[in-house]
Amino acid sequence: MLKTLSTLGLIGLLAAALLSGVHLATRDRIASEQQRQALATLNQLVPESEYDNQLIEDRFNASISGLAAPSTIYRARMDDEPVALLADVTTADGYSGDIRLLVALATDGEVIGVRVLEHRETPGLGDQIELKRSDWIRQFDGKSLGEPPAQAWAADRRGGAFDTLSSATITSSAVTEAVKNVLAWYSANRDNAFGITAEPRNTSNAKSGDTGNP
Amino acid sequence: MNAGSREIWRQGLWDNNPGLVQLLGLCPLLAVTGTAVNGLGLGLATLFVLVISNLAVSVMRGMIRPEIRIPVFVLVIATLVTVVDLVMQAWFSSLSQTLGIFIPLIVTNCTILGRAEAFASRRPAGDALMDGLAQGTGFAAVLIVLGAGREIIGHGTLMADAHLLLGDWARALEITFLPQQTGLLLAVLPPGAFIGLGLMVAARNRIVRRRAERTEAAMQSRAQAA
Repeated sequence: MLKTLSTLGLIGLLAAALLSGVHLATRDRIASEQQRQALATLNQLVPESEYDNQLIEDRFNASISGLAAPSTIYRARMDDEPVALLADVTTADGYSGDIRLLVALATDGEVIGVRVLEHRETPGLGDQIELKRSDWIRQFDGKSLGEPPAQAWAADRRGGAFDTLSSATITSSAVTEAVKNVLAWYSANRDNAFGITAEPRNTSNAKSGDTGNP
Repeated sequence: MNAGSREIWRQGLWDNNPGLVQLLGLCPLLAVTGTAVNGLGLGLATLFVLVISNLAVSVMRGMIRPEIRIPVFVLVIATLVTVVDLVMQAWFSSLSQTLGIFIPLIVTNCTILGRAEAFASRRPAGDALMDGLAQGTGFAAVLIVLGAGREIIGHGTLMADAHLLLGDWARALEITFLPQQTGLLLAVLPPGAFIGLGLMVAARNRIVRRRAERTEAAMQSRAQAA
């Protein structure tokens, strides 16, 4: 009995030792890889040549009304002058679960572009919000809160000015509403959005490198 | 290849295929086979874990008393899967982006525990390694065929997004059969997975029965001739 228990304990210890070893050996690399990937995502919308600050570090958390909190805001600057603002936001209004979006705004509040980072919408219908599946998401480029006017920021199936994906009205509305909410937040916080001090990483990022358990 | 290892491969690929005969590991099998590339990705990851876990269990089989074998197997498998996950995140991060959700699913795959219990804990390391390869290949083959079938019918493409798994050269592997938006949505949704797997099991059973009938007929005619 005692021998059996000690065998089990020994194997448990070995497993724990192996895991801590692998964790220590991979921790830094995983953190830097995640950072690189996060940056690559941001660079889809604001290319590296257009800013010179540490984009990934120049961030803070905001709670935007109508969106699942917290949203992460990144700021791109060139020679300390604001260039663009990137909002990593999640809306809970999708057809099947959360939709995570990246919305890039120019300093005047015009949409530079929107990308879907994560979603679980219906394959073949709602997944047309992905850029690789259709150009639907590009319809927000160059729009702002006023062009079209705020009440027209909705899917056309619901009386708005934006195209609705066929058989995916809920998905289309969720994305359109989310972009609108980001625009509304920016127009209310325009004066201080670039003045807020940057917050350290890993307050909102659940996948930060420090968690041993993926 | 000697007779013993040929038998192990026969078992893994056809006679005792984990996906079609043992019907083990259905949770990951049904969940990720929306496309051929997803099937291939999970197939490779499962194959890898199965080979190492079989080997580890076989090496340790002398020192483990039967009462504690199940906790030990589970511990070994969970540890291995975590190691694979961490290593992939660190050194193959783009691959890990695509396969990330599937890797933890491997722990839920009963094939791996099943092979540890039924085979690796009773056989020498060489056989256990071979069995891991054979069963893993058999499972991967089912995943790829089911994924490819659902992808062709549901999306009208084959090997789409292969570059995420295999690198940029693989973009050329994508084949489009149907113009955009004409696929049958049902095939991609969960019911399509069940129907597709059911058809594959039925097809295999039909082949097996045909063969048995033919052998029987041959034996009867031989008996009559004699």
